[in-house]
Amino acid sequence: MQQTLTPARVMRALAPLAWIGPAVALIGVVVVWPVVVMIQSSFLRISRFGVVQGANGADNYTKLFAEPDFGGVMARSLVWVVAVVTITVLISLGLAQLFDQRFPGRRLARWALIAPWAASVLMTAIIFKWMLDPEVGLINMVLRDLGLLDALGGAGADPLGNAATAMPWLIFVAVFVSVPFTTYALLAGLSAIPADVYEAAKIDGASRFRTYWSVTLPLLRPALVVATLINVMNVFNSFPIIWAMTHGQPGYSTATSTIFMYILKGSDIGESAAMSVVNFGMVIVLTVIFLKVSKWKTEVS
Amino acid sequence: MKKRLVGAVTFGLSAALVLTACGSESPSGGDATAGGEVRLKLVAADYGDGPTADNSGDKFWKGVVEEFQAANPGIKVDVQVINWNDIDKQVATMVQNGQVPDILQTGDYSGFVKDGLLYKTDEVLSPATSSDLLEKFADFGKVDGTGYGIPFVSSARALFYNKDLFDKAGIAEAPKTWDEVKAAAEKLKAAGVTQPFGLPLGNEEAQAESFLWFLGNGGGYKDASGNWAIDSPANVEAFEYLKGMVSAGLTTPNPGTKNRKDVWADFAAGKVGMVNGGPMSIPIFEKGGLTNFGVAPIPGKTGPLDTTLGVEDWIMAFNKNGRKEEIKKFFDFFYGGTAAQKISDTYKLLPVTKSGIEKLSSDEKLKPFLDALPNATFYPFQDPKWSEVNTQIKQTIGGAIDGDPKAVLGAIQKVATAN
Repeated sequence: MQQTLTPARVMRALAPLAWIGPAVALIGVVVVWPVVVMIQSSFLRISRFGVVQGANGADNYTKLFAEPDFGGVMARSLVWVVAVVTITVLISLGLAQLFDQRFPGRRLARWALIAPWAASVLMTAIIFKWMLDPEVGLINMVLRDLGLLDALGGAGADPLGNAATAMPWLIFVAVFVSVPFTTYALLAGLSAIPADVYEAAKIDGASRFRTYWSVTLPLLRPALVVATLINVMNVFNSFPIIWAMTHGQPGYSTATSTIFMYILKGSDIGESAAMSVVNFGMVIVLTVIFLKVSKWKTEVS
Repeated sequence: MKKRLVGAVTFGLSAALVLTACGSESPSGGDATAGGEVRLKLVAADYGDGPTADNSGDKFWKGVVEEFQAANPGIKVDVQVINWNDIDKQVATMVQNGQVPDILQTGDYSGFVKDGLLYKTDEVLSPATSSDLLEKFADFGKVDGTGYGIPFVSSARALFYNKDLFDKAGIAEAPKTWDEVKAAAEKLKAAGVTQPFGLPLGNEEAQAESFLWFLGNGGGYKDASGNWAIDSPANVEAFEYLKGMVSAGLTTPNPGTKNRKDVWADFAAGKVGMVNGGPMSIPIFEKGGLTNFGVAPIPGKTGPLDTTLGVEDWIMAFNKNGRKEEIKKFFDFFYGGTAAQKISDTYKLLPVTKSGIEKLSSDEKLKPFLDALPNATFYPFQDPKWSEVNTQIKQTIGGAIDGDPKAVLGAIQKVATAN
């Protein structure tokens, strides 16, 4: 039968638009349009005070790549993402397993885990910064009382003062705020695994480790992939923790690319936009690599 | 007679400027909202301790605006107060989106001049107001001989020292040279003071602390002929000296990550022996419970500085909305009335008008700063590169303490001299 464009047919074809239209419009306005503007800005010369002074070709990118700190910042961002996400997922796998067991006070424990998630990340970061204050920080006072620290006020009591000791603390705080969400995502995944597969494993005489490795983990994969992916993007774009605790200092030695982008915004908005585009590209590349590696589409056999 | 002629010429000139300005203006310029009421948008930096503090900028400006509105029916002023850390970026966003304020009070005006966003000073100030401004300060508001920035408040720096700690360490008087600073710091350290010399080289105001040490060695950001000289031998030597002090444990630990606010708080808590500060730090120290402190000129390498860092903050008028008559009324009200003095009283900032300085000259605590003001050295903020250089200094100069001063200062110099 020949397809003709009768009004009724057109109406029927357009009908779904009424349902998806608002969502498409919303995505267009709040996601696609800013991306377009961001990419546009990265090719413009913009004064520090926000006035567009004309096209700038690829100069913003040339300038960005020539920044002496650029390489270090990108490498640090990668280490930051890998370290935070890996540690978070490992801890969360254990915690999820624990919270999946029945034990007295489980409800309370589950609620308590939400606390770091519910608190503002900026607030958490500032509190940790205060606890690490070289003169009056709580953590330092405890360390001194335990005899692990000679005296307050010196360089030894100032872990946020140099990159080698600041980075582990920054990573710790990032893990601390990421664990609750990840644990809950995995917990949901665990409770979706039917009990009969465990029974089957038991009948087959599988060891505990074997059961976990061959039954739990494969069935948990969808939840694990989603949780990890969301973490990768979140952590890569994470701003408040580093900004509040070290401001990327000393120098740029604790700055990730998101922090670097924000600092550049104070001197050259075009270059900062170029950094944003590079960031955006990085997130996409990381996501694609991750999805490839995790073979997210293949069915669990 | 002559004066009147000058006045007439000025009037004629400004009228001509107004006419040319009107020519390029959008039809929406000078728009009045319904009922003939004009709304001015004022954006200002917060000199107080944040939005909830008693001395918040919000409360201060609301008080000023209420008085102004009562005296000038038909003009409403909307105030937005932004903290110092965010004001530059937020104003940039406003400009980017075409929502410029009519009046802006902040730390820099020069960047807006290049983009042609500001009214000239004589378009928005009456002769009486402009003649009361200190000439030296008003001169810093000029770009190529034309005034754009209107001095708002100023401050100068001096060395604060904790007299109790000095007594405890057996130091008789404030140090005058770098070596005396070091000797005093060693004595303070021996007496158990954890931070003998407070050294904030973190992003908040690293450019100020560094500048004071540069000046102490006859250096600075620019040389005598006005060229950038950030990695000059004098400046490098200053940082080598600081480096020695830091590694001997005589200063704030890891100064490249420490902010002025925190070091001042430590001084107020009696944990710091000496620190560079300004009149605005007096209320902070007193609020923190420290009253027995002395103020002395800043030590240089061979003797106390005959200059100091002067900082001037600015107020300026944007021309986009064409509301210069209303803005002029507001400025006359601000400088002619009690508002300008109230800001000096509340925040211990130094006035910028002749009448204001006269009124304060009897204040004992402010006297050292008022005396230092005439000889003060300012940042090279009229250079269009300064803002970019300043960002770089704030972020990286503290790295000269751990790394190689020559290399770190050289990298900043490179930013300053790049095209």
